[in-house]
Amino acid sequence: MKTRLYPVLALLIVLSLLLTACQGGGISILDGKKVVVSITYGSEKKEWLEPLVAEFNAANHKNADGTTIVVEATPMGSIESVNAILSGESQPVVWSPASSIYIPVANSEWRKTHADDLITGTPNDLVLSPVVIAIWKPMAEALGWPSKALGWADIGGLAASPDGWSAYGYPEWGSFKFGHTHPAYSNSGIVSIIAEAYAGVEKQRDLTLADLSTEKAAAFMTSVESSVIHYGTSTGFFAERMFERGPSYLSAAVLYENLIVAQESKRLAGSSTQLPVVAIYPKEGTFWSNHPYVVLNAPWVTAEQKEAAATFQAFLLDRPQQLKALELGFRPADPSIPLTTPLDTAHGVDINQPQTVLEIPTAEVIDGVQNLWKQTKKVVDLVVVMDTSGSMGGEKISAARSSLMQFIQLLDDRDRLQVIVFNTKSIVLSDLTPVGEKREKLINRVSGIIEEGGTRLYDTTLEAYQALEQDGDPKHIRAMVVLTDGQDTESNTTFQDFMSQIDSSGTEAGLSIKMFTIAFGSDADKDILKQMAEATGGKQYDSDPKTITKIYGDIATFF
Amino acid sequence: MHIPRVNWLFFGIYTLITASILAAALLLPDFRANSVLAGAPLRDWLLDSALPAVLPKPDPVTISVLYSTEKDAWLQEVIQDFAAGDYAVDGHPIVVELEKMGSREIYLSVLDETRKPDIISPASFLQISILQDLSTSKFGKPLVNRADKPACQSVVTTPLVMVAWKERADVLWGTQPGSEMWQDLHNALTDPKGWSAYSHPEWGYVKFGQTDPLKSNSGFMAILLMTYSYFDKTSGLTSDDILSNPDFQKWFLEIQNAISQYESSTGPLMQKMVAFGPSTYDLVAVYEATAIEQAANAVGRYGELRVYYPPATILSDHPFCILNGDWVTPQKAQAAQIFINYLLSKPVQEKALLKYGFHPVDTSISLDQTGSPFLLYRDNGLRSDISGLPVVEVPDGNVLNTLQEFWSRNIKP
Repeated sequence: MKTRLYPVLALLIVLSLLLTACQGGGISILDGKKVVVSITYGSEKKEWLEPLVAEFNAANHKNADGTTIVVEATPMGSIESVNAILSGESQPVVWSPASSIYIPVANSEWRKTHADDLITGTPNDLVLSPVVIAIWKPMAEALGWPSKALGWADIGGLAASPDGWSAYGYPEWGSFKFGHTHPAYSNSGIVSIIAEAYAGVEKQRDLTLADLSTEKAAAFMTSVESSVIHYGTSTGFFAERMFERGPSYLSAAVLYENLIVAQESKRLAGSSTQLPVVAIYPKEGTFWSNHPYVVLNAPWVTAEQKEAAATFQAFLLDRPQQLKALELGFRPADPSIPLTTPLDTAHGVDINQPQTVLEIPTAEVIDGVQNLWKQTKKVVDLVVVMDTSGSMGGEKISAARSSLMQFIQLLDDRDRLQVIVFNTKSIVLSDLTPVGEKREKLINRVSGIIEEGGTRLYDTTLEAYQALEQDGDPKHIRAMVVLTDGQDTESNTTFQDFMSQIDSSGTEAGLSIKMFTIAFGSDADKDILKQMAEATGGKQYDSDPKTITKIYGDIATFF
Repeated sequence: MHIPRVNWLFFGIYTLITASILAAALLLPDFRANSVLAGAPLRDWLLDSALPAVLPKPDPVTISVLYSTEKDAWLQEVIQDFAAGDYAVDGHPIVVELEKMGSREIYLSVLDETRKPDIISPASFLQISILQDLSTSKFGKPLVNRADKPACQSVVTTPLVMVAWKERADVLWGTQPGSEMWQDLHNALTDPKGWSAYSHPEWGYVKFGQTDPLKSNSGFMAILLMTYSYFDKTSGLTSDDILSNPDFQKWFLEIQNAISQYESSTGPLMQKMVAFGPSTYDLVAVYEATAIEQAANAVGRYGELRVYYPPATILSDHPFCILNGDWVTPQKAQAAQIFINYLLSKPVQEKALLKYGFHPVDTSISLDQTGSPFLLYRDNGLRSDISGLPVVEVPDGNVLNTLQEFWSRNIKP
């Protein structure tokens, strides 16, 4: 009897030991209770935030009731992320956009269906960085910098000059090539167009809807936008492009100060061979990227999550984390940290700047600026080249069709679109004409695409490329989207021939045709498609029937 | 030896009674504190040294304090010493529960009865004045009485000042603002040319910062000073002044409409001034103590930051007032008074000065002593003697209410 009791007693002892250990938080399998703080944040601070999230999670922080806090953070364009929240597509606990500028717009949209604001009170800033115009140092000097203060008006002047850099004595630099991100997706895009609107009407505050309807506002914005090489979804990606491809791709772009510091740190350390780049703090005023930490006042956010979110915020504002931000080129939100190196002229920036800001307009006026931009933005001449070979059968062709139909909806009326499908031969479904006059008809036509035959990839793509070079308007953004699911089986052109014909080096590289290639499914030759895209300054995507709509969405941000 | 049974019985009863008396003396706080027994050496030894370790502590008397955020750091620090000290009412140790909130929220939560604190301490007598007025209308008797010293008295003070980037203040008003400071500011804020009118187009438009008067006391104090200044007086402001003078209303709203954004609290406003530099605020209206809090951070950043005193100021005088509510028992009131007296004690007052930049109400403490921020930041415009500076009168609650109402009807931050 006694001997039978021993195993039972031993088990009880082990169990009680385990439970005691769990009380101390030692074993997560048993205590298991966790609270997830989901965060969508502006991608500009990814380099700072991502390692900190890992560090925070590893330290096993807890709520007062002992629940373990787990932070899950996703980088996303600031405007894109709030639109996802407003549409109900995304339900994070915390939203940390690049700046506070869009908060009034978000609240006004939210209030259409809710009694309270989505963002209440004044959120804390995590890190700071002014919005600047990043420009190659020799180009800034050609404009009179640093003795002359430059601003949005100078960008407007350069953009309007038909001779580009020749007017400043530098014909070898070709035309002025400017860039900012897409205002419907990214914070730096929206602040760029607000600044353009202010500069157009020569104001620094009190921008009104009446101002936006003036000839001056439209003319200035049209002029600046005409020099834009393409738009894009994230400021970080834009910076990467500029610093990788050099002055022939972009002369200047609207970025954040920290991105310039990061590039200059790289260059000074010998890991970038580009020219030095400097920050222009627009003399008329600019905006701050202040990275507010917003715990959403939304029905899906629980008290437990709020408590956990506050713990993570305190961690981010703690001195060691703020010092890390400084190392990466941000100005810490904690004013007790002095603004020292790398925030210095050696890294292309000046901490005594900016001298002034532009006033953040009301939600209504921001909406008006976005509408004005839609009317003045650069038009795109786009060719979609789609593989309809036999291997595209089933789920693939139906996903490719429906995503292309949705993509057509995203284009503006003035954009011109050509659609070519290919298998053993190529067929032009629609010529390069404005979308506005054919949208519904074209969508109908796309819905009837079927698959059959081989894959005539190089011939079709090259023919389309050459036709676009000839028929496309060089004043427009010219781009191609090429979707294929397999290897070329039918072309006379070889890959090498193809690559030699689409070379886009030289001073006007930024204005050349951009190719966005989609490797659809696992049989596509990703490497070849990557080379095709990168040679033109475009981008290659891996996709399948589940992700294709998102890919088309990303491509749309370039226009 | 044989002991008769009845003796055992007597012995037992005797022991029981003795033990009960001893237990009562040790356990019941009132019994312990009984002064009749005071001075008995054995009792004192037992109570002070031997027994606290083994006996349960007597029930504490707990007082709750609702206080405004500006004095958070100071209170949190000194409360530690208070808790460690031997403060008691009739042998019941005093436990203080602190809860911070905005000054306006403090009196609103007392009025709507969502909070029943024993002491309230908003940032100034402005809120005491309003609560006195509103509680009389609502409950038929005032919950506080600002004249009721020592139950309602100021503990530390700090004046409302202007903090500006020196380079810009020099251009706006020279070395010191004159008697027309608010008028000068009005002119600068409403000039569409902004700083261009002062030959500095690179500074953009003129950016003045104050907090939201509905959420924060310093913003409320700023609009009160503007109002007094318009009528060129320092006392006797009436509701009629505010409501029946269209010229004043226009002038006042022009200043307020030129403010791009209202912070909801003074600390963050001042922090923003330092973190973002002159690009975001040229000058702000904040407490002197808030400016001192950021003074070290401002050094070597964006240029020289200076404190300027307006032609007439108002004090954020941090009253601590015991409420006349029926939940405040005599015992709690007594404990509350002990706590207020503790805050008035010299070491606590000195800490408020040396570490947090407040003016102590204890006038024997010199602002010019070694280690005082007034000495340290004298070159940044701080004045240790403001006795010559006029201080405006705190108007009646109804006048203050009128001003708040007028602001809230016309300005939507």
